[in-house]
Amino acid sequence: MTQEKKPLIRFDVQKCAFCKICELSCSKYHYGKYGDALSRITIVRKSPLMLRSLICTRCDKRFCIPACPTKALSYKGGNIVVDEKLCNSCGDCVKACPFHGIRLHPETKMPLICDLCDGDPSCVKACPKSALTLVWLPEGGK
Amino acid sequence: MINMRYSGYKGKILRVNLTNKKSSTLEVTDEFARRYLGGNGFAARYVFDMVNPRMDAFDPTNVVAMMTGPFQGINIPTAGKYYMATKSPLTNGYFDSVSGGHIGAQIKYAGYDGILIAGRADKPTYLFVEDGKVEFRSAERLWGKLTGETQEAIKEEAGDPSLCISAIGPAGENCVRYACVITEYRAAGRGGVGAVMGSKNLKAVAVRGSGSNQVADPAKFEEWINWYNAEAKKIPAIATGLPTYGTPVLVASINNMFGAMGTRNHQGEFFEGWEGISGETLKKSYWTKDTACPACPIACSKVFTVKEGKWKGAVSEGPEYETVYAFGSMCGISDSGALIKTDSLCDEWGLDTISYGVMVAFMTECYQRGLITKENTEGVEFNFGNDDVLVNYVERTAKRIGIGDLMAEGSLRAARVIGGDSERFAIQVKGLEVPGHSARALRGMALGYSTATRGGSHHDPRPTGEYAGASDRKAIDGKAAWVIGTQQMTTIGDSLVQCHFLERLLGFTLTQKYVDMINPVTGFGYTFNELVDIAERILDLERAFNVMTGIRRKDDTLPRRFLEEPIPEGPSKGMHTDEPTLNRMLDEFYGIKGWDKRTGIPTREKLVRMGLEDVATVLESL
Repeated sequence: MTQEKKPLIRFDVQKCAFCKICELSCSKYHYGKYGDALSRITIVRKSPLMLRSLICTRCDKRFCIPACPTKALSYKGGNIVVDEKLCNSCGDCVKACPFHGIRLHPETKMPLICDLCDGDPSCVKACPKSALTLVWLPEGGK
Repeated sequence: MINMRYSGYKGKILRVNLTNKKSSTLEVTDEFARRYLGGNGFAARYVFDMVNPRMDAFDPTNVVAMMTGPFQGINIPTAGKYYMATKSPLTNGYFDSVSGGHIGAQIKYAGYDGILIAGRADKPTYLFVEDGKVEFRSAERLWGKLTGETQEAIKEEAGDPSLCISAIGPAGENCVRYACVITEYRAAGRGGVGAVMGSKNLKAVAVRGSGSNQVADPAKFEEWINWYNAEAKKIPAIATGLPTYGTPVLVASINNMFGAMGTRNHQGEFFEGWEGISGETLKKSYWTKDTACPACPIACSKVFTVKEGKWKGAVSEGPEYETVYAFGSMCGISDSGALIKTDSLCDEWGLDTISYGVMVAFMTECYQRGLITKENTEGVEFNFGNDDVLVNYVERTAKRIGIGDLMAEGSLRAARVIGGDSERFAIQVKGLEVPGHSARALRGMALGYSTATRGGSHHDPRPTGEYAGASDRKAIDGKAAWVIGTQQMTTIGDSLVQCHFLERLLGFTLTQKYVDMINPVTGFGYTFNELVDIAERILDLERAFNVMTGIRRKDDTLPRRFLEEPIPEGPSKGMHTDEPTLNRMLDEFYGIKGWDKRTGIPTREKLVRMGLEDVATVLESL
């Protein structure tokens, strides 16, 4: 029996240099322009040594899906998928995500959630310090 | 929204008056962008038009310009920066300082190409700029706070841990003439921009934007990025030296190969204690992690931690090479721990590390020569190698306590108070303390510092080409053309607001490679000659501003020590540029520039050629 796996973009705090090239390459890939408000990954720095990456972790609980009042979110092929016809831009998914992995597009107000760029994440490719890696974890495991 | 023909611009500048708490916008036209490029060019024009050069730098009418160029907020290597300019309280001339930091991109994303700040708030204030809106918020509870605390408090107030903030420390509040502006952990260090902010009761500027920036020709731009990625690998400094060690990698070669590392206030230029403060030692014993300016793959910035000894526990992003020189060899200190401690204190209290270190070295030589005594220093012994002085006087200078009040004035003003022969060894040009690239061992830096708009700055002329042998560091003939070329290169870099560390790849002086980088982003379709003219236009404007403050040929000079005392020892023993040699190079320099050889004032003919007829008319009315 093969166990189902889920993707994770793993973050190495020691390697990250806080250049935010990941954010720029994310917005470039999805929208053809550069802007951190359009990025599905955000790096936050509290001190030179304290950094966090905010991105959809595909957590087991998937808090965002039941939080959506219009049932616009579903989990398919390792990604949280937004049905833009059903979404009413209420932002409840943003609030429900304890990992701060969702934000709303500044203009369309649609949720921005990591979609792995068709399986080849541009942030991982662009990171000059190899601080981001795509790994596949067993569902329900650690 | 303003639609521009060219990419990389938002088409407007935010104008803020702190006195009446009013804001407005200024249009950036296609023609203006094409003529002045951005950052340095925009600010030079605005400051020339808006600031009375004869007014004191702390007068409310002075303007602080916070600018971006076309490169901010896009994924282009080494452009994760922003640009500040003002009339300097240290040099009294036009002054700019460029810093790393995410705020440059945020200014773009907020819909602006820059911010111009004038007036004086009646109470401590900070600006909060978001997507075309500006708020004047109270900074009363932030006044007196260090730069780190200030940024954290503002982030907390806004509930946004990613908020980008540029802030001053107590040094800026107290108008220390070389107070800096700190963004995250990077500094717009030089010339006292932070002091001008302090004089305006402006504690910080916070900017957040939800917009974006894009390039004119994505396919050509990608081609350029691919070219960069392939070529950068072949340049050892960019591929390994800077990523591994950061700028302190320079210590060993500048000290040992060139004998050009100012030591004990330039009484020598070879520091026998270099090993304790070298890039290799910092990496081996203190390195904790790499950090980068935004969008930069080089990541030359290093976080250093002191793990043992007297300064155990100190953590800092840096020191950079210039700071290692100013605190280390200049003060005769070979313990990197003291350097890391002082570096973090200067960032927190808001002092420029180069000017502060050179200031301590100057006071130490005054003490050594008996020009100041224990009576002046509250009993403290200012000896070379005394790291307690270096560490403790950061706070005392920032707060202007005791002799710190005099140290807050910079070395030229301090020398005029101390008297004796001290001005001879005040290591400054036009009031700005000289960084760690020798004016005696590098002929280009002798001419470069003398003629630079800012004075003692290593980012007006550049030393790198002389270290690399692209220009013979001893040559006199032809040096003027070389120096002009490096000044043009830095001026274009500062207008794009891009780091000069790509010079080994793109050229130590302006080359076609700069044109090839700019055109895909902006769509200007510049020719090489057009780019040279932009640089000259900006440099002439800066010079014109300085001329109106009283700067003439007589001011284009070096400290007497450099002109009269050859380097006493080491690989460059006997080298220096004496006055007749400097004059010979100056004649050649003014000739090429089209500046009057007797006065150093740009001629009408040159200004008209640069499209600056209005400036020529202003200068003629002097």
